[in-house]
Amino acid sequence: MQMRKKTNIWIVVTAAAVIVEVWALYVLGASAARWRPAMIVAEEPAARALYEAMLDAARDAETLSYRSFCSGPDSGPSAYSVQLKKPNLVHVEMTNGLSTKVTMVLADGDRVRISWSGDRPFLKVDDFERNEPTQSNVYVDMSGSPADVAGQMARLGVAWSDLVWSPSVFFSGADEFEPYIDGIRLRGTNEASGEECDVIEVSYFKAQRMRHYWLSRKDHLPRRVKEIVRLAGQNHVIAEEWFRVEIDERISDERFAWSPPEGFRAWEPPELEDFLLKPGSDAPDFELPSISGGAIRLSDLRGKVVWLCLWQVGSPKCRAKMRYLRSLHEKTKDGPLAILGVNVTDDRRIAQTFLRDEAIAFPCVLDSSEEAAKLFAQGYGMKSSDAPVNFIIGRDGKIVDAWYGQDPHRAPAALQAAGVQDVDR
Amino acid sequence: MRAYELIRETYFRRSYIWIAHLSWLAVYGVFWWSFVPTKTETTGKFILVGSGLFLALTLSAGILGDDIASGRICVLVTKPFWTGKLYLFRWIGLSLQAAVHLLLTGILLGVLDLLTPKNSIEGLGVWLLASWLLFNAVAALSTSLSVVIGRAFNSLLLLVVFVAGYLLMNALMVLLRGEAGAGWLMAFVRYAWPPFELLRKFAGGEYGPHALTVGRFSLSHNVACVVHSLILTCVYGVVGVLLCRRQFSRVRD
Repeated sequence: MQMRKKTNIWIVVTAAAVIVEVWALYVLGASAARWRPAMIVAEEPAARALYEAMLDAARDAETLSYRSFCSGPDSGPSAYSVQLKKPNLVHVEMTNGLSTKVTMVLADGDRVRISWSGDRPFLKVDDFERNEPTQSNVYVDMSGSPADVAGQMARLGVAWSDLVWSPSVFFSGADEFEPYIDGIRLRGTNEASGEECDVIEVSYFKAQRMRHYWLSRKDHLPRRVKEIVRLAGQNHVIAEEWFRVEIDERISDERFAWSPPEGFRAWEPPELEDFLLKPGSDAPDFELPSISGGAIRLSDLRGKVVWLCLWQVGSPKCRAKMRYLRSLHEKTKDGPLAILGVNVTDDRRIAQTFLRDEAIAFPCVLDSSEEAAKLFAQGYGMKSSDAPVNFIIGRDGKIVDAWYGQDPHRAPAALQAAGVQDVDR
Repeated sequence: MRAYELIRETYFRRSYIWIAHLSWLAVYGVFWWSFVPTKTETTGKFILVGSGLFLALTLSAGILGDDIASGRICVLVTKPFWTGKLYLFRWIGLSLQAAVHLLLTGILLGVLDLLTPKNSIEGLGVWLLASWLLFNAVAALSTSLSVVIGRAFNSLLLLVVFVAGYLLMNALMVLLRGEAGAGWLMAFVRYAWPPFELLRKFAGGEYGPHALTVGRFSLSHNVACVVHSLILTCVYGVVGVLLCRRQFSRVRD
């Protein structure tokens, strides 16, 4: 009897410990809160005024310099030293973790130049053989505006943690996601970098993306930015801490002058499109769950020309593309063209909300499993999450054309080659 | 009474124990005088590594294995009793030593701060708490290993594993960034090994920025961090107790 009582106590203690540990791991795993419609923020005029003051402060400044630490729970911190000067000059120095190797980024309006004091980052599209000759003492010199700097750095995998507050805000005085803001609200005051700040919460894309800005009462510029992106099954959090913020400090133009470091040579990063399936190759078949229930098999569409479009809710380009495809679908739904949307990243409820709001009726599959990601990464050669990605598949199941983004000339030509006429740009 | 004797015995087990304690206190003093750190974080990280990791490995070196190998265990355990007690009281002895050590560290640094005021001990208490939690986890793991690994090789093995784990984490972050499967490996290193990274974030107040809350301070994250650390210590301890039961038979020859 005594023995059984002891055993029962141990069972209860163990069960309690397991429950508490599961809770602890759930909280520490940064995926504690799933998206729900109540997360969409309602507009507050006072908060909107603070947000506008931030944009105005960036717009009115002639120069801006600051240092920042960007980090996420799953990545080490990246340290930035940023100097910006109107109309279009950028100087960024970045280090990862405790490394002393500096990545320097310079932009002057027409060109973006990136050089590494150590080895350049290894890209997903690199193979070791291809990587080795261009691993060290190289720089990138590409066309692009200052607004592209953050995007190019992210594309090249320069930093462990990318900038949330893009330098483009300083030059344009606008937030790239501003058209997608659901609402802004005040979250009180808080201290950041030793300064009293107003904290505002901005919700984008129906709360798929949230940003918290700690805006200094002194100059209305951020001292901390936290971004939460809600994807399938998890939240991606990145925090950016600002310090030594200087506005209209005199910065010499020489600071932004570029000359290739001695002994360095230019390196052309590989084009992502080169890795997509080539025209004439078979499109790998798949059966994936439809977002509206059931399953969709690609081979069931054999006999029709298929426009396969990989999209994400949080990408403005994808949203525009999906609207274009909606109108195309309305015109051609009884014709030889079948449009199939593929989403391998988003939370089901967020994706469903977007499709419902936009009245998108063409079929879409949604699968965030590793198998689905592998299918498109390896089978279709999609080496970047830079959506939208388009595949035009002929009636015989072979690829006619494949490309990233929105090329207005490409789709009509590809569809025509596949035998679908009269498609608008 | 037996419990008290066993706990007390961990203090006098080896003469180097006192030397280790005093040496580490001296190292903290020298560190302070040499660098006069302006941030608590600098001192805190040093204590976390020093006391949470290296002191734990030093004090638990051969804590059971050495005594089993030398036969000293027969002198300590003269009467039959639950074998897990030997493990438990030795671990409690280590934990108490760490508590006293960290208390003395706090007093030492407090005095030094009075002599060289730099405002650099604000929040030191949280770093000391984190160091104690890490010490407990490392000491429990090391003591468990000591049951089956002879002499002081338990600490040596753990030291190697710690260094390898640290390098693995960094390699994974650089080489496998964004790859499927890397997340699972990183999660294993983060949550199943002694929680150095978690406690560093806890003490450094880094959980707020990455939590889903607005403020810097996230109560749920900090509580979860402490709870995870304690439960991990218990898990290491349970493994040790089970190994003890296997090691010492109740059946007489």
